[in-house]
Amino acid sequence: MSATISPSRQPSGRIANSLTSGQLPRFIEWYMLAGSLALSAVILLLMGFNVAGWLVLAAVIYLIGLGILSSAVENRRKATDRVVRGLVTVAFLLALAPLISTLITVVANGIGSINWDFVTQTSQSVFDPDTLEVTTKVGAWQAIVGTLIITGIAALISIPIGILTSIYLVEYAQPKHWMARTVTFLVDVMTGIPSIVAGLFAFSLFSLIVGPKAFSGFSASIALSVLMIPIVVRSCEEMLRLVPMDLREASYALGVSKFSTITKIVLPTAIAGIVTGVMLAIARVIGETAPIFMAASFTDNFNANPFDGPMQTLPVMAYTGYKFPGQDIAASNASAWGAALLLVILVVILNLIARVVAKVFAPKGSR
Amino acid sequence: MSEPGSRGPQRSTKGVRAKSRPADRIFLGLSTGSAASIMVILAGVALFLIIQAVPAIMADWQTNPDLTSGPTGGYANFWTYVGPLIWGTLFASAIALVVGAPIAIGIALFISHYAPRRLAGILGYLVDLLAAVPSIVFGLWGIIVIRPFLLPLSDWLNTYLGWIPLFGGQVSTTGSTILAGAVVLAVMILPIITSISREIFLQTPRLHEEAALALGATKWEMIKMAVFPYGRSGVISATLLGLGRALGETMAIALIISPAILVSVRMLTEGENSQTIAANIALNFPIATTLQREALIGTGLLLFVISLAVNMVARIIAGRAGKGALRKRKKMLAQLPPSDPSTVLAVDDVLARKSPAVHTEGADDPEPEIDREEREGKDA
Amino acid sequence: MKLKNVAAVGSLALVTALALSACASGSGSSETPAASATPTTAAVDSTLTGTITAGGSSAQANAQAAWTSAFTAQAKGVTINYDKSQGSGGGVTNWLAGSYDFAGSDSPLKEDQAATAQTLCGPGGGINLPIYLDGVAVIYNLPGVKELNLSSATIAKIFSLQITTWNDPAIAAENPDATLPATQITTVTRSDGSGTTTNFTNYLSQTQPSIWTNPPSNAWPIAGSSAQQGGSGVVNTVKAGEGTIGYADHSAIGELSSANIQVGTGTDFVPFSAEGASNAFTEAAATVDTGVEGDLAQKIDYTKITDADAYPIPLISYAILCTTFPDEAQSTLTKAYISFIASEVGQEVAAKNAGSAPIPADMLSQIATSLELVK
Repeated sequence: MSATISPSRQPSGRIANSLTSGQLPRFIEWYMLAGSLALSAVILLLMGFNVAGWLVLAAVIYLIGLGILSSAVENRRKATDRVVRGLVTVAFLLALAPLISTLITVVANGIGSINWDFVTQTSQSVFDPDTLEVTTKVGAWQAIVGTLIITGIAALISIPIGILTSIYLVEYAQPKHWMARTVTFLVDVMTGIPSIVAGLFAFSLFSLIVGPKAFSGFSASIALSVLMIPIVVRSCEEMLRLVPMDLREASYALGVSKFSTITKIVLPTAIAGIVTGVMLAIARVIGETAPIFMAASFTDNFNANPFDGPMQTLPVMAYTGYKFPGQDIAASNASAWGAALLLVILVVILNLIARVVAKVFAPKGSR
Repeated sequence: MSEPGSRGPQRSTKGVRAKSRPADRIFLGLSTGSAASIMVILAGVALFLIIQAVPAIMADWQTNPDLTSGPTGGYANFWTYVGPLIWGTLFASAIALVVGAPIAIGIALFISHYAPRRLAGILGYLVDLLAAVPSIVFGLWGIIVIRPFLLPLSDWLNTYLGWIPLFGGQVSTTGSTILAGAVVLAVMILPIITSISREIFLQTPRLHEEAALALGATKWEMIKMAVFPYGRSGVISATLLGLGRALGETMAIALIISPAILVSVRMLTEGENSQTIAANIALNFPIATTLQREALIGTGLLLFVISLAVNMVARIIAGRAGKGALRKRKKMLAQLPPSDPSTVLAVDDVLARKSPAVHTEGADDPEPEIDREEREGKDA
Repeated sequence: MKLKNVAAVGSLALVTALALSACASGSGSSETPAASATPTTAAVDSTLTGTITAGGSSAQANAQAAWTSAFTAQAKGVTINYDKSQGSGGGVTNWLAGSYDFAGSDSPLKEDQAATAQTLCGPGGGINLPIYLDGVAVIYNLPGVKELNLSSATIAKIFSLQITTWNDPAIAAENPDATLPATQITTVTRSDGSGTTTNFTNYLSQTQPSIWTNPPSNAWPIAGSSAQQGGSGVVNTVKAGEGTIGYADHSAIGELSSANIQVGTGTDFVPFSAEGASNAFTEAAATVDTGVEGDLAQKIDYTKITDADAYPIPLISYAILCTTFPDEAQSTLTKAYISFIASEVGQEVAAKNAGSAPIPADMLSQIATSLELVK
């Protein structure tokens, strides 16, 4: 390494004052932020105030102001850096708004219908022969069980196939090999399958195998697998490719076999990413509505046998609750939101479990 | 983790080679088999789709009594029916991607490189959580929150920018516009793009980042030189996954947008929103007769083909960008101020205070860059 | 054994109570008319066991839920799955594929479907039984306007976008008392294929063929409206937007105001009522001869609805089943369920819990006759 002695080389510790001359003060970004918020408030008060407009205008003033200030006092590179930092932060805040709004909407609308009975009981309706009135008590237990079983089976099918395929693509196959290229291509094709078509495929397949009355949880699982496998392959492949070649080479140099290298070195290194990918895939399919109601149909009755008869799931419950409300429209909508909230909670729990798993398997000392 | 059963024999350190061979072979067989099973599954789906779609594509749409009424009524043939749907699908996804992808990558960067680490964990989790919100919920949320929220903006755009075809036409009073649908789509694809991009940005080798910083790069320059090139294929792949979701998204679109089967670029109207393929299938499939269902499956087949085409185009772009970006990086590195290798471990606090006005011509050391390129070549 | 006996006794008591209560509520309540003097008994065989799988029309979904609940309250060993997410077309398609014991559908089998049904059910084919009656309501949201009278001509012009503002002379002429604003009219329609749309477009094309030139269709034929998914989508959008007008099953509109519809060309504007729909059924529905014995497919001639006590846009929904089931146990079970639905009590259960109108008694007895043919 040929070292050029830089004139700016400084001993660590306090920095000489002369060097801060081309610097903006340390907390300038906060001052700017406060200033632009105030300025934008003043402008909007003159034009008619609204919160969204205020924040957007403030962000614009902040970014422009900071850019100009920084390029005047500092230099263009620094200015770009500051503006990008601002942009990234704004992007984040901008995205946070709808995300939080969604969560709040789900929680606010769903929390009212969630209680112990809703979670642990199946839907029951009581018929009063005297008044001929039917009173319905909505429960989501049958939907929770159905969702867990259907998604569980789909995951059992898709995760091994997905991870093994990505291992094949990354570790075993020569990049130019016809099979590797075909599989990569087909995985791309598979991501494009419309979910409703997957449902139709599963239903028709089972009609052929089982004959009429082909509705079953298992056929919904097959439909979900078709949607899930490409997602698992794509994200796992990406994660495996990110494992530095050095690690593999070091392992091979020590005489470790390919199998051990993959299971002991490559997979643990990529495990956090793989778990994220798998969780995304599960999250993606657990909320699918159309393929499930095509393959598993709809029922208010409890059914825990995935190989026989219609099975209820949370997304279908949410969908039917909204689209086909009962006589009491408000109650139906409330149960729809309740089912949606339960679905989100379910995924949070699964997510937590996955994180723990990832932590246990991840190599110690990684970030 | 994927093969817990075959872990056992690997434990011994003696004679690793001899013992590992059967396991190796089994494992190779398993993973190759999995890859092959994908071909089988997909061949099954594709074959099935084609067999189902062909009768409707071939049928005479003007005389067949099954096709002249209901959702397929009034079209000369399959192609005049599916044409506007293809346009609608691409249009809605394009808006969603234009709105969503930059923001998603911005969030990923924020979480991986700007946010305080403790906050980053929580934020990352929050974003993952959002991927879990089912599309039906996004649809309902779109109806009660986004539709009314966008109404004033739509009015404003229509009043002042109505001369642009995108914003023209009779502005919607209920808010069920393609804009509202696309915004919700953008929100839906955010978590997918963000989660994967974030994971990839985090994987950028520390040394690359520190080397860039040590060369005097600002944080943004470091990201441009070290993080983006390293994660490019991953980010493109993430964006494609997002696009895949946008193209095939059904429920949310079907709930929010007031569709019509026509070709239109209007974003703010009630009656001129181009319908998308997936939503059209979802909306008409239940009521359709057998041949109409086959026609709808035919549109699904085309959705399939489109997403394939989009994928291939994106791969080609990614390949080209790869070469171009490498050249660009070399140029940028050449412009950087030279620096002392001993500052490799310097923290950005010190770097931030570094005097920028030190350009010495041609004195920079090209070695580290070559190093990095080689390593990357291997990695990819 | 012992338990079974207890159960049998219990259900016998229940059945008696049911029959009694049917009479009691028939005579007691003023709004649900006791249309017939000979109440069909609702005796349900409580020893039945098995599973009925059905699905289709979402219009009858609420009624099916109520019927299921009432039926299984007596026959405890029976499970009934009615899939409302499939829609009428999906119901018939799945039924034709053999997946359903019966299909719920807002329109009877078409000719080609009837032909397919013969391969499924044998030469007897399938029969359409009208089991559910409701009306299509024209709903609107116009602050300050509580009552709105509309003729079929005006409705056709509004929905074909020929009338675009609320203070149009045509509307004003029919509503001399209302103060109509100059608001733009936003028509709200179904974006998904729907039996409600079929009924509504059928009404428009029969009554106003010169204004409404499109053929009846389950898909809304005119671009330019606000198209929403599902009846609930239409109802919610009408509720949320000012100056909106749409159509939906009457039982699903909640508290929204619905227009009074002009009967025929007279001066009467009739709001929806259960009796109105029943009267319209009696007046305008005629059994179509499809060549299948026992088939009760109805053809409604909307132009025949002229009485001041009939609601002009009735909506009929059918149960479609095989005349010969492949499985005898399934046949017994399904017949028992449909007979319960097509009984006085069954109709009243639907009216109470789903807001539907009762099917006239002579039609019920015809259904009973048809059911006897089912093997």
